[in-house]
Amino acid sequence: MREGTVKVINPLGLHARAAAQLVRIAVGFKSEIILMRVDNRTIADAKSMLSVLTLAASIRTVLELNVVGEDEEPAFNAITKLFDNGFGEL
Amino acid sequence: MSSIKKVGGVIVSHGQVANELLAAAETVVGDLSHIVAVSIGWHDDVELAKNEISRAIKHVSQGIGVLVMTDMFGGTPTNISAMFLKENEVEIVTGVNLPMVLKLATDSQEMTLSELAKEVEEQGKQSIYHTGALLEPYKMKKDA
Repeated sequence: MREGTVKVINPLGLHARAAAQLVRIAVGFKSEIILMRVDNRTIADAKSMLSVLTLAASIRTVLELNVVGEDEEPAFNAITKLFDNGFGEL
Repeated sequence: MSSIKKVGGVIVSHGQVANELLAAAETVVGDLSHIVAVSIGWHDDVELAKNEISRAIKHVSQGIGVLVMTDMFGGTPTNISAMFLKENEVEIVTGVNLPMVLKLATDSQEMTLSELAKEVEEQGKQSIYHTGALLEPYKMKKDA
């Protein structure tokens, strides 16, 4: 298991297109990828866009990223990078 | 891209709602070749609309079923679509909203048509939030 936190830094937050980007990357990995809001413990499956949207994660929201599976290392890195880049919106 | 068969989708509405819902979904997740929109004009002839829906269903069918999503139960788009209801071939879910279209667009699991219809129905219902009530602690007070 690979665990860590990511922070939403793009002004629009985890909106529909950003969530779609996240899901597109997540489905490319075999691992199970779960995101959880640290503040209210809402959980989402990173491979389901509608699930990701229910996080309602706005700018500065901190999420726990939990990846389990054979390709957990590259999956964790790819998703962390996406958050760090502000979904290419910065 | 992939050879996995998908359940086709037809969005049917009064006016241009269907086209715009599909356009919005495509903006979010990219090209959706297995979903089409049929907009029924307020003054369109029933036979004309029926032919258009029939064509749309045939167009998106990949042999494992087509899910028709209409704007409102009891409305003309639904009533005309209902003529095409057929077990394992055509199912209808009413009250289409953007999350429902996205559910159909992004669902990658193998599901039968009736299972998918149920999922899309549930998704539509679950995606409605009274957002103000949900965000109560964060709401800006008028006099603040």
